Amino acid sequence: MITLTINGKEITLDKPITVLEAARQSGIKIPTLCAHEVLKPYGGCRLCVVEVERMPRLQTACTLMAADGMEVRTESETISEVRRGILEFLLINHPLDCPYCDKAGECELQDLVNKYGPTVGRHKEEKRKVAESHKDQIFSRNMERCVSCTRCVRMCSDMQGASAISMIARGTHTRMEPFTADSFNCEYCGNCLSVCPVGAILSRLSLHSYRPWQVDKEVETICSYCGVGCTLVVQVRDDAIKRVIPKMGAGINNGMLCSRGRFGYEYIGSEERLRVPLVRKNGKLEQSTWSEALGLIAEKLTEIRNTNGGKAIAGIASPRCSNEDNYVFQKFMRMTCKTNNIDSVSRTGFAAAQKYFEDLLGQGITGNLIDGLKHSETILVLGGDPTAVNPILGLAIREAARDGANIIVLGNAKGLEKFKTVQVVPPVFNEAVVLEEVLTEVFKAKGVRGERPFVDKELKLLSKRTSGKVDIEGYEELKKALLETESLSIVLGMDMVQRTDGHRTLFAVAALTYLLEARLYTLSERANEQGLIDAGCVPDMLPGGRPINISDFKVKFETVWKGTIPDEDGLTLLEIIEGTRNKDIKALYVMGENPVFNIPDGSSVKEALGNLDFMVVQDIFLTETGEMADVVLPALGWTERIGTYTNLERRIQLQKKAVESSSGMEDWRILSELSNKMEYKMKYMQAEDVMHEMAKVSPLYSELTYSEIAEGECLWPYHGEPLRGEINEVPEMLDVAGDYRADFYLALEKPLFHSGSLSRRSQALMKIYPEASLKVGAASAEKLGLTDGDKVQISTSAGSLDTSVIIEDSIKDNRVYMSNNFAGSGVFNLMKFNVDKVTKAPGIEGCEVTIKKL
Amino acid sequence: MFNETVISEINEIRGKYPDRRSALLPSLYIAQREFGWLSHEAMTCVAKTLNLPEADVRGTASFYSMFKNAPVGRHVIQICTNVSCMILGAEKLVDIVGAKYGVTSGGTSEDGRFSLVIMECIGACGTAPAMLVDTDFYENLTETNILEILDKYK
Ligand code: SF4
Ligand code: SF4
Ligand code: SF4
Ligand code: FES
Ligand code: FES
Repeated sequence: MITLTINGKEITLDKPITVLEAARQSGIKIPTLCAHEVLKPYGGCRLCVVEVERMPRLQTACTLMAADGMEVRTESETISEVRRGILEFLLINHPLDCPYCDKAGECELQDLVNKYGPTVGRHKEEKRKVAESHKDQIFSRNMERCVSCTRCVRMCSDMQGASAISMIARGTHTRMEPFTADSFNCEYCGNCLSVCPVGAILSRLSLHSYRPWQVDKEVETICSYCGVGCTLVVQVRDDAIKRVIPKMGAGINNGMLCSRGRFGYEYIGSEERLRVPLVRKNGKLEQSTWSEALGLIAEKLTEIRNTNGGKAIAGIASPRCSNEDNYVFQKFMRMTCKTNNIDSVSRTGFAAAQKYFEDLLGQGITGNLIDGLKHSETILVLGGDPTAVNPILGLAIREAARDGANIIVLGNAKGLEKFKTVQVVPPVFNEAVVLEEVLTEVFKAKGVRGERPFVDKELKLLSKRTSGKVDIEGYEELKKALLETESLSIVLGMDMVQRTDGHRTLFAVAALTYLLEARLYTLSERANEQGLIDAGCVPDMLPGGRPINISDFKVKFETVWKGTIPDEDGLTLLEIIEGTRNKDIKALYVMGENPVFNIPDGSSVKEALGNLDFMVVQDIFLTETGEMADVVLPALGWTERIGTYTNLERRIQLQKKAVESSSGMEDWRILSELSNKMEYKMKYMQAEDVMHEMAKVSPLYSELTYSEIAEGECLWPYHGEPLRGEINEVPEMLDVAGDYRADFYLALEKPLFHSGSLSRRSQALMKIYPEASLKVGAASAEKLGLTDGDKVQISTSAGSLDTSVIIEDSIKDNRVYMSNNFAGSGVFNLMKFNVDKVTKAPGIEGCEVTIKKL
Repeated sequence: MFNETVISEINEIRGKYPDRRSALLPSLYIAQREFGWLSHEAMTCVAKTLNLPEADVRGTASFYSMFKNAPVGRHVIQICTNVSCMILGAEKLVDIVGAKYGVTSGGTSEDGRFSLVIMECIGACGTAPAMLVDTDFYENLTETNILEILDKYK
């Protein structure tokens, strides 16, 4: 216990903190400039000086630890004079261009000078002149305004871990600059911008377009992009999003954001948004009305259902849509269209992994908090770069690394280059082999655990198959780390799932989790991949992850839903596509997804969908798939409606409304109107009504309400009852080892700055990363005689395209990477795949590619 | 990138310190020796060799005036004009050198032979005026001997 007095007020602390923090806790304000709540104390600006009894000089409150018996005064004539003096020094060079500066109104220097003076400066010298820099696409940098507090630099290196900027030069010439002095060329998280106390770093997205006090509305909501679900604040003026800012101390991200979350909001106001329903007439999509469009869909779907049976209809749901949307979607498919053929593009990764893990280890095995990573002693990262796919989760790994955790990377992970302690790069596409070897060692050391018969049995079989001989750099360290660690986290990226033998990796990961009681995290590219599964948008499970083939569960749902659910499990995503190819499936309903673009071997998907009698797409943009549809319906997007999302930790959060959209309808509302037309009644007036029903019927969500979710911390397993056992029988493992001897393989890049059709329509992200390029490792580049920027033609058995080369030192094998985000140059068009027979995910490994310099 | 010899030289220096960051200043000297000045390329090489962020390398390099952030001539003349040297006529010396070789403070002569840098006290007040030419030190300069000295640097 520490007891001190600040301004005569007695304060008791139960743990040692700084005088500044103690003062803030009890509501006493001390002015600061270099201190920031998310940064470590620095003690640079001296504005926070306070008087402490028995201490000879003024002390900086931000660095002084509170001690028992301390008597602190935060305001006095002496203190004010010192503060005034410091400010006068800062104003020697600060330009006083507040009327023109975007920061005015929320500038800390302005506020301080307003409070402490000076009103007139005594310095006659000229102010330093530094030209404002607009050489970066996103940031405007005005170094005349910089007060050298170093908050931006400390943010970038200590918190973001990017170390892209630094303080340059000395004395009055000191300023912040990125390495190149022009473009930041960094991770563009914008976190430096959020901590700059003055207008020295500004966002060009909103430059000179409004004043902080002109915001009509501020709405705290969550990000629409990835499966982390960061809390952010949307500032609205004239019904348009002006700015997205973080909120310190709130949410999973505690004031940090990534580039997509902060700068990727422009798609919502895009000119390309779908505004009215489109109906195909004489082969062309034409503008139509809601009543015509819905009438036509109801008529067609009813006809196909009645003639060919529900099995001839399939639905593709969306990990971008809310729990409510997805719940109503599966209910519409099951009850109205009479089909269990419901899946999503998540099957190509997250949903496939999740099902396998839960079948083996029980529901909720991945329900781990991101914060847990920070407390891990060892983190095993495989199958992708967490700092690109789920950036804020990536930051937790970096933080753990700074605190001394052992970070083991299997394969490539660019964003962890400076943070990893061990990297193991197996021969290309042989990760499973290495994992099985190390798993066997762990199994030998730990013995049979005896809780999961299938896993125990497979482990015994496996230990007979493995050779015990691995000669790869870093392998011994990997083994040692796994054998010795007391607390392990495993972070799995989807690159490992998109393999024909993906289930072998998944088994190894699951078994390690089981043997070592590890925390397991599956990276999730889209905001609601988990929620989609929990809402029942999978072919074999009802909401709450209840298997359809267990009749007790089915009957319970049928009672509430008043009708019958088809008996048989439906088809998975790739089976649905095959079904359209061989015409077993005649109608497809797509909600918020673009299968033609987002499934490998796009041209063959397109060909298959071409066989459909009838296709409906509801989306916020006219996508490649929408262009093929018979009816296209405009939906509402992020910030235009309310709904809940379940992140990769299985935390449920509320996404709120901030702007009014002139057209479009909520996905769930479209579906329920349609259902009513098809004589299966749905009576939801608002999204919350859907949640009420989910809470009633889904054993996971029982009694969950919006008000509870809005309060935050709505964590797994809520009030629900997860299924703990081995849920479904898991198929035996298959031996599908390939032979990978080609010179180069094409692989899927998951860039930090993009996420499909949304980021493509966000100008800022397009400026940062404007077009597809081929990422090549240094060794491969040397072999090919390539340098940065070279134009090349890449060809696979599926086709070829021209692009330019970027050399990435972080790629350590002979894979070359390209993203699947840009219209016309999606890498999925160049990839054929085989299906992993166990997980039903597409295996896109082994895509041989030739690269020709142009 | 640096050649093998330079890389091993830096690695050797790195071995002397508990962490990589501490090896930065000596490594920057080596880079300056190799490239003549600390260009972005030079700093990138140092960053890669020490596995440090490029921005940190630049931040450090820009702090010290002994590191050159622009190309310099074959030889760098650093004349002190601080108090003691100034009293003993250093500013005159600057003018003389400037007139003879066509170089101004912070600049380089057209033939690329000399760059001139005005220094704050270089610790030779007792034997002022003083200067450095590259790494060679000269004191008790006069208006005549300074030109004789410089003549040796081609
Ligand atoms: S945007 Fe992020 S990565 Fe870039 S300089 Fe700022 S803090 Fe660093
Ligand atoms: S740019 Fe802003 S945050 Fe960075 S040092 Fe200058 S004033 Fe501080
Ligand atoms: S980490 Fe994910 S949720 Fe968070 S801001 Fe980035 S994209 Fe959005
Ligand atoms: S806030 Fe304490 S020294 Fe800057
Ligand atoms: S003043 Fe010139 S050396 Fe000290």
